[in-house]
Amino acid sequence: MIVGTRILSVEDDERIRTAVKLALEDEGWAVEEADTGEEALNAFQRQPSDVVLIDIMLPGIDGFDVCRAIRRMSDVPIVMVTARADTHDVVAGLEAGADDYLTKPFAPKELSARIRALLRRARSSDSGSAHLRFGDLEIIPDEGVVRRSGEEIHLTKTEFRLLVELASSPGRVFSRETLLERVWGYGYFGDGRLVDVHVRRLRTKVEADAANPRHVVTVRGLGYKLQA
Amino acid sequence: MRLLRSLSRLLPRLGLRARITIAFAVGALIMAVVLAAATLGLTRQNLLDQRESSATARTYQNAATAALQLPEQTDADPASAVDPTDVLASIQTPTGSNPVLVVGDRWYARSPEFGEEALPAELRDTVRGGQPALMRFDHDGATQLAVGVPIESIDGAYFEVVSLGELEETLESISISLLAAALLSTLAGAAIGWWAARRVLRPLRGIGDAAHAIATGRLETRVEASTDADLAPLADSFNEMAVALEERIQRDARFASNVSHELRSPLMTLAASIEVMQNQRDDMPERARAALDLMAADIDRFQQLVADLLEISRFDAGVMYLDLEEVRVDELVLQAVQSSTDADVPVDIDSDLAGVLVKADKRRLSRVIANLLDNAAKYGDGATRVELRRRDDAVRIAVEDDGPGVPVDDREAIFHRFNRGSSAGHRRGIDGVGLGLSLVAEHIRLHGGSVWVEDRTDGEAGARFVIELPAEAS
Repeated sequence: MIVGTRILSVEDDERIRTAVKLALEDEGWAVEEADTGEEALNAFQRQPSDVVLIDIMLPGIDGFDVCRAIRRMSDVPIVMVTARADTHDVVAGLEAGADDYLTKPFAPKELSARIRALLRRARSSDSGSAHLRFGDLEIIPDEGVVRRSGEEIHLTKTEFRLLVELASSPGRVFSRETLLERVWGYGYFGDGRLVDVHVRRLRTKVEADAANPRHVVTVRGLGYKLQA
Repeated sequence: MRLLRSLSRLLPRLGLRARITIAFAVGALIMAVVLAAATLGLTRQNLLDQRESSATARTYQNAATAALQLPEQTDADPASAVDPTDVLASIQTPTGSNPVLVVGDRWYARSPEFGEEALPAELRDTVRGGQPALMRFDHDGATQLAVGVPIESIDGAYFEVVSLGELEETLESISISLLAAALLSTLAGAAIGWWAARRVLRPLRGIGDAAHAIATGRLETRVEASTDADLAPLADSFNEMAVALEERIQRDARFASNVSHELRSPLMTLAASIEVMQNQRDDMPERARAALDLMAADIDRFQQLVADLLEISRFDAGVMYLDLEEVRVDELVLQAVQSSTDADVPVDIDSDLAGVLVKADKRRLSRVIANLLDNAAKYGDGATRVELRRRDDAVRIAVEDDGPGVPVDDREAIFHRFNRGSSAGHRRGIDGVGLGLSLVAEHIRLHGGSVWVEDRTDGEAGARFVIELPAEAS
């Protein structure tokens, strides 16, 4: 963990906000607070933080909108806090650009673990193969750069790590569990929707036609693979 | 009377359709019988009147003929007297009609069968008394019509006896035809009744189907609005009831859901605050530390209870959706046990289960196994082993414990909410909230499987909770 990593915590309930701040500070993070979506966006514009924690049930601009607005400005990891795991909220939040989610009430230690996983750098590729090519797709893991037909495309940190993970063994099928573990640090019981939505997001950026993916391919019942 | 009573006892047991059919058949029968009786009566009367009037007219005519042929009765010239037998022979009568002539006190009949003796005395007396008369009577089992006319000139009378046997035969064949018609119309009545009942009951069946659908949880079911003036109120009130029921159930479910949601916020504060305090645990005095541990444990319990309540309210609202995927059941069970609070329990897996898939919501099924392990820890002195076996098209996950077992009477109730079993509950204090097993039952039901508790198969005391899940074809 980088000492002094700044977390922006967006939560309208003051008591929760304070308690979470205390607990996260105990874990060594620097915490900034915002009690509305507007304030969160202002704070982020003033000084972008390293991680954003958003409760999606916010008065005024809701968590999804805050998520989308921050995504337009930055590729920082976003963790959203939802009421329940089995609603459409999770998928909607992930599609709005969140990298991971937690359901209330969560343990701040669990949140810390999630944030640490999201802040991990993409796995360094083996020396020598620092330049990966998949047809019109070009990946330079060490520089964090992806180009399609020579044009640089912008990925979030998590999307990039997912792509690099798939690129580490071209043509190999990665199960959702494997990807959950390597990209998000989840064990067996991680939520497979994280992988599915991120693959979907990734396709809209790296594929010429996201509906008919050529690079990030689904292997039914098994998982995903990357091909030229 | 007895018949009626037993009939009325039988009728309510018959279905509405049968009763309508019977009512139509009985109605048709009664109508046919009344019509037949009226027809028969009228026909009979008509035919009789006809016969009587023709017989009467003929009798008068023949009497006049006879009176002309027979001179006034004088004893003056017996030789010149005309023989009444000849007169009788000359009278024209249709077949089946027997003329009888009385001259003075002497009776002449064409047929010996119908002579003085055959005629009823009453008729004879009336006619001899000077009154024409008509009478029906039985003779040798056949109905006869006799008409008598007095002939004053010879101090006699003329009778004609007409057999009505032919008429009876005609009436008999008419009544047979009418009986057949009555039977046919009864059958037709029954058929119409059956058809009408079917038509009447068809919308009721629709309502019955809708009620069944609602009972099985499809609360949004409605019956189609009817354009029939008689059926529309029924359909409308049914739909009103369905709406009210749905609203009521949703309100209840929403209430439970709202309560649980409202509890999440304070719980979130508690969960974060207790962590801050736990970070300072080592610096706390002994007593504060003990209090902190108690609080931490109960916050965990509280969280679990709220999560369970929310889950239950989702079942009640019918909005529980599983995140189903095909998973290897052996891996799932191993992972579930390893991530539970009871990770050292031996897991005994059938070797032919390798690679067998089940359609399951991984996290919920693991919660189910964790609940069974928790249950074993609380009421069964801890789980002794977890067993996974293949059974035809299903897999069975069993959790065994070392406790006293579950009495046969409690084996069903133990899966009900807030029920810890009558004997097991107080053995180890009141830990746990009694929602765990009911959630197990609901989740397994949603997975298309079943769960029950039985005795341990090795004969030792202790409970054996078994989950059976359908296996995917592999």
